[in-house]
Amino acid sequence: MKMSDTIHIQIDRADGSLQRLIGLVERRGFHIDGINMADEGAMRRIALTVRGRDAARSIDTLGRQIDRLIGVARIQAQTFQSEAA
Amino acid sequence: MSAAAPALKTASAPAVMTGARLLVSSLERMGVEVVFGYPGGAIMPIYDALTGSSLKHILVRHEQAAAFAADAYARLSGKVGVCMATSGPGATNLITGIANAMMDSAPMVCITGNVPQGVMGTDAFQEIDILGVTLPIVKHSILVRDATEIPAAIEQAFHIAASGRPGPVLVDLPKDVQFAETVAPFGFNIPNETTEADPDAIAEAERFIRAAQRPLIYIGGGVKIGRATEALRAFAETTGIPVVATLNALGTVPTDAPGFLGMLGMHGARAANEAVQASDLLIVMGARFDDRATGKLAEFAPHARVVHFDVDASEIGKLRETHVAVGGEIRPAIEALTARMATAPLAIDPWVIRCASAAERHAARYDAPGEGVYAPALLKQLSEMAGDRFVAACDVGQHQMWAAQHCRFARPEAHITSGGLGAMGFGLPAGLGAQMADPEAVVVTIAGDGGFMMNVQELATLRRYGVPLKIVLLDNSSLGLVRQWQELFFEENYSEIDLSDNPDFVKVAEAFGVEAFRIDRRDQVEAGLARLLAAEGACLAHVVIDPKENVWPLVPPGKSNAEMMEGA
Repeated sequence: MKMSDTIHIQIDRADGSLQRLIGLVERRGFHIDGINMADEGAMRRIALTVRGRDAARSIDTLGRQIDRLIGVARIQAQTFQSEAA
Repeated sequence: MSAAAPALKTASAPAVMTGARLLVSSLERMGVEVVFGYPGGAIMPIYDALTGSSLKHILVRHEQAAAFAADAYARLSGKVGVCMATSGPGATNLITGIANAMMDSAPMVCITGNVPQGVMGTDAFQEIDILGVTLPIVKHSILVRDATEIPAAIEQAFHIAASGRPGPVLVDLPKDVQFAETVAPFGFNIPNETTEADPDAIAEAERFIRAAQRPLIYIGGGVKIGRATEALRAFAETTGIPVVATLNALGTVPTDAPGFLGMLGMHGARAANEAVQASDLLIVMGARFDDRATGKLAEFAPHARVVHFDVDASEIGKLRETHVAVGGEIRPAIEALTARMATAPLAIDPWVIRCASAAERHAARYDAPGEGVYAPALLKQLSEMAGDRFVAACDVGQHQMWAAQHCRFARPEAHITSGGLGAMGFGLPAGLGAQMADPEAVVVTIAGDGGFMMNVQELATLRRYGVPLKIVLLDNSSLGLVRQWQELFFEENYSEIDLSDNPDFVKVAEAFGVEAFRIDRRDQVEAGLARLLAAEGACLAHVVIDPKENVWPLVPPGKSNAEMMEGA
């Protein structure tokens, strides 16, 4: 089984934004093994350690799905980063 | 939809008004003309402010129908559809419609009232965390906590709903925000970001196409949504590459265009599936490798490399390895590729001839024996008689697949169907929404007896607003598609599919004040369809069909598209 990846995300603090992010990650087939969060002005900085539930889950696809959430300003992991980053 | 974010009217001096009035003004400023909705306690200030506005509010009889109607309105008009409902049950009744818009990428803004902020989180009467409940099925959602934010929230909601890959956006307004008096500025400028296609990717796509011997264009709903119908037609004509379409892409290439092989997938055309399986290059445009299109994914198009065009980068490589990814807006990307392809013709004649002869060999036949109504033939005839202004608003089931297989569609907007979600009950409210979007269109709801009853109450809405929707109700007295699967895959164990005690649908329609008549036999079909299409107002044709009729061909669930079953 693949090791877990850590994704660094900068996301706004609008109502539901944290739930939106966590829900997306779990719904798309990933376990969340760790979470770190710090507020930074109007934004939140979040580090998620995730692991696919099966081998078919792609961290790159998850990254793009997170990147398209409204309110996500930056996203970065070992294998990818958003264009804004 | 993606190309045209709604234009703003000019800004005027801010005035003191309630949040509810601000909301209504904001909708007016976004160019909204029609709103589908249903009032209730937590949205009463907004309904109060609706009076005297320029918005035409359509009072449906169930909130689910408001969402379905707004979705179909958006699909036909290309504008953002708007629906509204109160808190709690009003909001939860919207959910299926919101999910439907999400799955088929329809631009929609849903406005819900909510309980006052002071009691949110206390299980107040009709309180539901609708923002939380809908998180997985919206493109975005906004809880407006301050009335001053309303114009910006609405502008943002419309922009998000319509731009890029469209989808539903929920705007939740607590009642105290609706009552609050405020001065708020209008006229924010959200930049219209357009993403240009990468010229290197286009050049790479050309290289792959020129290297292929059996290229095939596989189009999805993203082509019409990206307003790229003409661009796609020009690309197909310039290159001569055969085309297959998903359910949501039917009509993008006219049904009778040369090189069009039909729908692919579970109930697709045999020629389309054969072409996919033989192809050495799939040019995928605005499609997402849905399982109903691919069948067993591991055996889908086993010899093909993939060039994938999609405005949603997260769809590229999601289910199938992509060799060339072309992101960004799909229309300029296709146009750029067409310009490159026009410089020299492809040498793919043997492949084109092979595809065309397969299409001819497997063409549908309409010579079924007997005197009973043969639904595929009726639907084909309906679409031909209705002409180029024909718009089908389909429900979900066997009739939906027959419509997809046999109707003639001149444009992609002519086929409105619940593709991704497959939501029974969509047909009647979708027909309502489509007819509101284009009063000149010949809109026909095609429904089965199961799905029709799921939103039958909307006959009252047709009557109230004089909406001249036509309804073809194909009645096989059963849940036909489930019955078909029970016959084929569950050893004929027919469990809970019998609807032989249906009401008299002609009487039901007449009780709502809608003209209705019955078609029982094949020799009544032509005159019946003529009567239906000639009716001035709403009209329902109750068509009695054979309960044992199945949808053919069929790829069994989980099997490869190479394994198509054919009926006796």
